[in-house]
Amino acid sequence: MVGPEIHFENVKKRFDSVTAVEAFSATFKAGQTTALVGPSGCGKSTVLRLIAGLTGPDEGTVRLGSEVPAQVARRGALAVAFQDPSLLPWRTVRSNIALGAELARKPSDHVDTLIELVGLGGFADHRPAELSGGMRQRAAIARSLVSQPEILLLDEPFGAVDAITRRRLNTDLPPLWRDRGTTVALVTHSVEEAVLLSDRVLVLSDRPASVLADIATAPGVPRDSAYRASDTFRELSDRIFEALETGAVG
Amino acid sequence: MIWFVRVLGICLFLVAWEFAARGVPGSVLIAGPSEIAEHIQSEFALYTRAAFATSVNAGLGFVFGNLAAIVLAVIMIVVPKSARLLSAFALLLFCIPLIASGPILRVLFGPGEGPQITLAALAVYYTTLLALLVGLRAVSQNWTDFMAVYGRHPLSTLRYVRARASLPYLFVGLQISAPASFLGAMIGEFTGAERGLGVLTLRAMRGLETEATWALAIISASIAMMAYALLGLLGRRLVGYTPVILLSAPQGQPTQNLWMRVAEMAFIVGAVLAIWQISMDVSGLNRFFAKRPGDVFVFLAESENLATVLSALSETLGSALPGYLAGLGLGAALAAALILAPSLGQVALPVAVALRAVPIITTAPLLVLAFGRGIVGTTVVVAVMIFFPTLVACGQGLRQTPGQIVELFRSYGASKWQTLIKAQLPAMLPAFFASARMAVPAALLAVTTVEWLATGQGLGMLMAMTASTSNYNMLWSCVAVIALAASAIYACVAMIERRILRVYASEQLS
Amino acid sequence: MTQPTHLTRRFFLQTSAAGAALGAVGGPALAAGATAVNFQLSWLHSVQFGGSYLAARNGYWSDLGLDVSLSQGGPNAPVEPPVVSGAALVGISAADYTASAVSQGAPFKIIAVAMQKNPFAIASLSKNPVNTPKDLLGKRIGMAVANTPVLQALCTLNDIDINEIEIVPTQYDPAPLVSGQVDCLLSWETDLPVAMTVQGVENTTMLMADYGYALHSQTYIATEDALANRRADLVALLKGEVMGWNDYVADTDAAAALAVDMFPDAGLNLEAQKLQAARQVPLMFTDLTDAHGFGWFTDETIAANVETLALLGQDVSPDLWDRSLLEEVHG
Repeated sequence: MVGPEIHFENVKKRFDSVTAVEAFSATFKAGQTTALVGPSGCGKSTVLRLIAGLTGPDEGTVRLGSEVPAQVARRGALAVAFQDPSLLPWRTVRSNIALGAELARKPSDHVDTLIELVGLGGFADHRPAELSGGMRQRAAIARSLVSQPEILLLDEPFGAVDAITRRRLNTDLPPLWRDRGTTVALVTHSVEEAVLLSDRVLVLSDRPASVLADIATAPGVPRDSAYRASDTFRELSDRIFEALETGAVG
Repeated sequence: MIWFVRVLGICLFLVAWEFAARGVPGSVLIAGPSEIAEHIQSEFALYTRAAFATSVNAGLGFVFGNLAAIVLAVIMIVVPKSARLLSAFALLLFCIPLIASGPILRVLFGPGEGPQITLAALAVYYTTLLALLVGLRAVSQNWTDFMAVYGRHPLSTLRYVRARASLPYLFVGLQISAPASFLGAMIGEFTGAERGLGVLTLRAMRGLETEATWALAIISASIAMMAYALLGLLGRRLVGYTPVILLSAPQGQPTQNLWMRVAEMAFIVGAVLAIWQISMDVSGLNRFFAKRPGDVFVFLAESENLATVLSALSETLGSALPGYLAGLGLGAALAAALILAPSLGQVALPVAVALRAVPIITTAPLLVLAFGRGIVGTTVVVAVMIFFPTLVACGQGLRQTPGQIVELFRSYGASKWQTLIKAQLPAMLPAFFASARMAVPAALLAVTTVEWLATGQGLGMLMAMTASTSNYNMLWSCVAVIALAASAIYACVAMIERRILRVYASEQLS
Repeated sequence: MTQPTHLTRRFFLQTSAAGAALGAVGGPALAAGATAVNFQLSWLHSVQFGGSYLAARNGYWSDLGLDVSLSQGGPNAPVEPPVVSGAALVGISAADYTASAVSQGAPFKIIAVAMQKNPFAIASLSKNPVNTPKDLLGKRIGMAVANTPVLQALCTLNDIDINEIEIVPTQYDPAPLVSGQVDCLLSWETDLPVAMTVQGVENTTMLMADYGYALHSQTYIATEDALANRRADLVALLKGEVMGWNDYVADTDAAAALAVDMFPDAGLNLEAQKLQAARQVPLMFTDLTDAHGFGWFTDETIAANVETLALLGQDVSPDLWDRSLLEEVHG
């Protein structure tokens, strides 16, 4: 089942005296991965929170397909991985991952497959305190996938992962949501990661966030090391950097 | 080797005690260890039965009181709007002095164990409630967000996250309440119970049976200490992981305008008065001793009565304040000292538990004998009453400092002292403030007891006079005034707490 | 501890008194036909209530068709609330306490008087004795501040200045006297001095009743409602009391032994109980009771009480006393 399209229509969101998002209109296409890049504190996370229904817009609308975020959340069709792994210290890795399925009221039969996939085989019965930061992060990502969500929200999920693991995860994980047609919104600081993982990149301006550029990456090209080394990859990265710099100057 | 030193220390202590008891010629106030041991041996059956009776009541009170605390805490977390009203009720109920509640409980329950169990429950629910609330709120916003993303109700956060995250705090509450429940059951026996350690203590003190008084103090302290240790052990077993407190960034406070606050206050006051009136009416309690809000209002409307009560209140508050501050300071300071020198704990903690477990009517006269009837004696008694819960709560708070932060400080070569000041004390703050709030009613109860037994002034004396004058209007007016004062002071402490926690632990303010 | 080994009527009676803590209202053998009555004592069980224990043990009440529960008092178990609320039919109080309660709206009557002489005394150590009120001058007296009017009354009666006595607020406990914090104590003749004697502390007492302080103590109180509607029960209860106290005065040692025996959990000391039992006899049995019987009072003793109460600041009418029940008991 392909995930729904996420649609922002002229959204404004203020927190006290700070306007985080203003006149924000964007579409995250169904079944695609859309990356959000932009300067620190520009409101990327607010966009994710609006999709998750953790906060409501002051003006405008946020639609997930034909539904509002709360409806999708109630079906257990949303999942999230934060920058901070937020694992329960009293649960083992396995049962922390299973929590994602439990909360979404979905079967948890592929927990062990996921554990292997994120490279935590052999640590399933360990508690978070016994893991390194990167391992905890991988467990959190596995937890977000276990419920097979229609919409997946990733907020800097690889921030704390070491370079080698990060590269491996960047290769191994995307097929998991791509193949299932999950609609993914990815917040990242790494332009390369955005180009590598996403189908489209939305470059956001400084606060209040608006879309500076909407760049489609290479459709249909396999995300492998050849792609990483290709000219297309470099060109895309350059375009995004350029857009970011224009935004910063403007 | 350490064991040897410890055993030697205990032996030296006992020998010194024995000499002190024998050295004072004709002493009838201090009993030596050998006399006490002999006495316990000769009255073994009696003390076993009494200890059993009191322990059963304390145990039942402990269970009921803590269950009530857990239910209240859960309601307050799940329905945050109810929190203010419920915490006001919880505080006010805790403020009702024994001298007012005792006769009512006895009339309601008739002969039997009811009042002892109820008073034991009343002695514990409040500390557990506050400790548990700190624990239930010590959850980062990530977790509440996480649950919302999966479309789950706050109940799920409670079930999956808060319930377990609060366990260490619950056990602190349970540990503190073990001696308190024992004390509550003993004092409950003063309402006319047939048997128990409280009854025997009373008899021993009046009978000048010094060995018996000391034996009873030692027995009750030992039982309380065992309960304390057992719960500690159980807590470590059950919790079984190092808890982490996640400090999240401060959030903006929902600004409430003045009128909203006034309306809320009025609502709470109205609800309290209504419950007071209705609960007494429904139980069919006689107006002679169970005064209603209207009676108190009419009584205090006479300026002479109001003046009497207010001047007594100012005496009471004046003598409570130094002990309150000293008890809090001492508790926090000792908790900090235990971090710097952990071996100190093996000496300090048992003494602290023992002081808390021996009934105040036994300790107060001895403390008054040692420190006099003036402000020093009063201060010491009040400080002793609140020092122990503060110590335990702050100790727990200090251990909550995330390990990474402590390691970070170590890696910079920071001394234990620097780590304490810069990392651990801030982490202790939520627990410290919970203690500071918890100590408000405790200090008032302690000071009124001292006033009754030793200084003969203030609200404690006014209330004690009810026994001979049947002036229950005065008694309930004092109760109302104490409750009001406690709420006001509590609110002040809470205000300071909010200001400070906004910087250090904002998750507590949700 | 002696436990009853045979199931007699008395056994059930005894357990219903001693076992009141279990909520037992009489034993099964007794329940049939007997009226359950709760009798609220003013303090912890001791030979202070020895006559009542004898009435129970000897079956006087059950013979009169009553099943009496003896509820003990305590520091936080005032007598007036259970009597007012009907939880207890009769309570043990004192004339001043009862008068205060009546002024606060309680519909009480004093229906009999156990202590003809007030038990309040000034206790002191024999090496520094207080033998007469004049000896109080310049001394430190330990007492509950609430009892200041009592001391004031004694001073007025004996024409001494209360300001020359230093009042030290103390708990009701001999320790402050023995440890030298005070020179004397305001206490009962029958408890703290007895304790000191038993512990080998030589002491002296000065009974306030011998210096004009005329105030009935250990008085039996009941509500006007009970007097009107439960008269037969009240008469039966008093009858049993009178018989019990007559047994008591015949052998106070036996009464002390009974108190220790009936309440094994009370931690009573037999020696102290015997001494206390003997010492309260002169307070309870006087020429008046020899002539009219236990519990009696006359218009003259009432008048003396009203005078003392006036000194205590209480304006009391002689109507507070009602002798009609005693007249039936002794008639």
